[in-house]
Amino acid sequence: MIGRIAWRNILRNKRRSLILITSIVVGVLALVLTEGFATGMLHQMLSNQISADAGYIQIHKKGYQSDPTLENAMTNPGPVREILTKERAILNYSERLRVFGLVSSPYNSYGVSIVGIVPSAEKKITTISQYITKGSYLSGEPGQILLSTSMADKLKVGLGDKVVIMASQIDGSVGSEACRVSGIFETFNSGFDQSHVYIPIQTADQMLNADGLVSEFVVNPKNTRDQAAVESRVRDDIAGLPGAAGEYEVLSYEQMLPLLVAQLVLYRQALYLIAGIIAVALIFGIIDTMLMSVMERTHEFGVSMAIGMSNRKIFTMVMIEALYLAVIGTAIGLAGSYGASLSLSRTGWDLSMFSASLKSLGVGSIIYPVLETSYVVPTVLVIPVVTLLGAVYPALKAVRLQPVEAIRAT
Amino acid sequence: MDGKNTNTEIVRVENVRKVYHDNGVPVDALRGINLTVSPGDFSVIAGPSGSGKTTLLNIVGTLDKPTEGKVYLDGEDVASKTRRELADMRLRKIGFVFQAYNLNPVLSALENVEFTMMLRGIDAGKRKRKSLALLEELGIGELANKRPNEMSGGQQQRVAIARAISNEPRLVLADEPTANLDSETAVKLLELMERLNHEDGITFVFSSHDPQVIERAHRLLILKDGQIVTDKVNK
Repeated sequence: MIGRIAWRNILRNKRRSLILITSIVVGVLALVLTEGFATGMLHQMLSNQISADAGYIQIHKKGYQSDPTLENAMTNPGPVREILTKERAILNYSERLRVFGLVSSPYNSYGVSIVGIVPSAEKKITTISQYITKGSYLSGEPGQILLSTSMADKLKVGLGDKVVIMASQIDGSVGSEACRVSGIFETFNSGFDQSHVYIPIQTADQMLNADGLVSEFVVNPKNTRDQAAVESRVRDDIAGLPGAAGEYEVLSYEQMLPLLVAQLVLYRQALYLIAGIIAVALIFGIIDTMLMSVMERTHEFGVSMAIGMSNRKIFTMVMIEALYLAVIGTAIGLAGSYGASLSLSRTGWDLSMFSASLKSLGVGSIIYPVLETSYVVPTVLVIPVVTLLGAVYPALKAVRLQPVEAIRAT
Repeated sequence: MDGKNTNTEIVRVENVRKVYHDNGVPVDALRGINLTVSPGDFSVIAGPSGSGKTTLLNIVGTLDKPTEGKVYLDGEDVASKTRRELADMRLRKIGFVFQAYNLNPVLSALENVEFTMMLRGIDAGKRKRKSLALLEELGIGELANKRPNEMSGGQQQRVAIARAISNEPRLVLADEPTANLDSETAVKLLELMERLNHEDGITFVFSSHDPQVIERAHRLLILKDGQIVTDKVNK
């Protein structure tokens, strides 16, 4: 019956209850949508990085990750290639010869990461071929080069123009090749665009006099959920190669992109801070509204006390009122935010007006929110908890009323 | 006097003084009140406004504490009770009827009567049956599902009486119960309370300056300036 009374008390001042519920809904919406967009953005940053360059798993010679030079490239990649070909859980793999060098035109020179790729294999493993805006992707013919729009602008070159690439060979002498611009690309990440050029692996090999060296194998599993298992199997298989113990490193994308992964973790923690800020903003509103509701009923509480209602029951009644409001507000807020996120996760939120800054972050201009229940639920639970906490003071205030004075109140 | 329950007293008030402070100025509301209420009494505390009627009723009803003196309810010294014990005492032993009816506006007539029984932990079925029977007995059975704002003053006061007697209290304290009612309704209500007193043996103590109430009371106590100046059996 206390619950019924509490419910009717909520209904008696619909406008006030509605205001309180609305503030809870707004709190939940703010929290969940912030979580959804931030997670979506970070996921996009990560998946963009994986799909455009890093892949899910990479195999290097030991030490390459910390010092990506030609000295740390694999001299005998054949057995690794064989293992990757045999592993059934692998969807595709590709090999690269990567070196830091210079790309020059008659006007300018810039330091870049020169990536020698097997065009047909690379096309299956990364999305760089999809970002071609002018010209065409590498056909496999030697002497071709892919540059980004920004690099082409800086070098003042266009399709079909010649640029010279040069880099240190393993013996310290400088190798160079003249390449013709076959395609121009533009990805989601301006930083990436300014620091990468792509050439066929034979051209890189020739320029560096590398004699079949491979810097990295990029591997994508058939099912990304099996990534850890595939990684572990490949690691074991490679370790089993004659003389290979400790010679190779098999890395997951988390190990290759530690900064990005750390950012994701950091943001999760920051979200609790955001939840805290929203909670603080909310709690004062709740205290104020509940206090008003209690004070308006001073006379009623006095009468209830006079006829024998215990403090415990009065306290419980006010807390139940708050609980109802919290549950309704949170439920509506959750439904609304899940609804909005669900719809936006299909269409995305077009933030083209901020595309320049988003590009520098490595995110596309359309953000697709992602809600992870395991993170959303504990964060959102803050709201009903805060509502109940906010009701404690008004409830205590009701309990501390003196019956005879309360009855006199009008 | 040891204050023990002799079964002939429900209330014993001994040398009660009550001093209020009005902007720091002490005001004597009650000055040395002695009073006993016995089972079956139908008493009225009369007196002009400000004479201390409501203060005395509040002290007897354990809603207020005397500045000095003792109050025994059913033989128990109320000063020794905690807030919680006093609430429980009121729930079990006292029924209140207020001038302004003071029904819970969000509850129906039936639920208002049930409310006190719910507080005592009586199960839903039993309290509903009993509340309905009480409303019937008081002639307002058809209003069971009406909210207070859908009832007249007289009807609301009948519901308040039903609420007050629902827990079968030792004593019903009625503070100016007819003050907000027209004369005809007031008479009907008084007749009802007289019947409850006569047939069911319920003890009533009123505070009132309504001549109709004073006329019907079996015992008349007149308060003046915080003192009982008259305590007599009403002819």
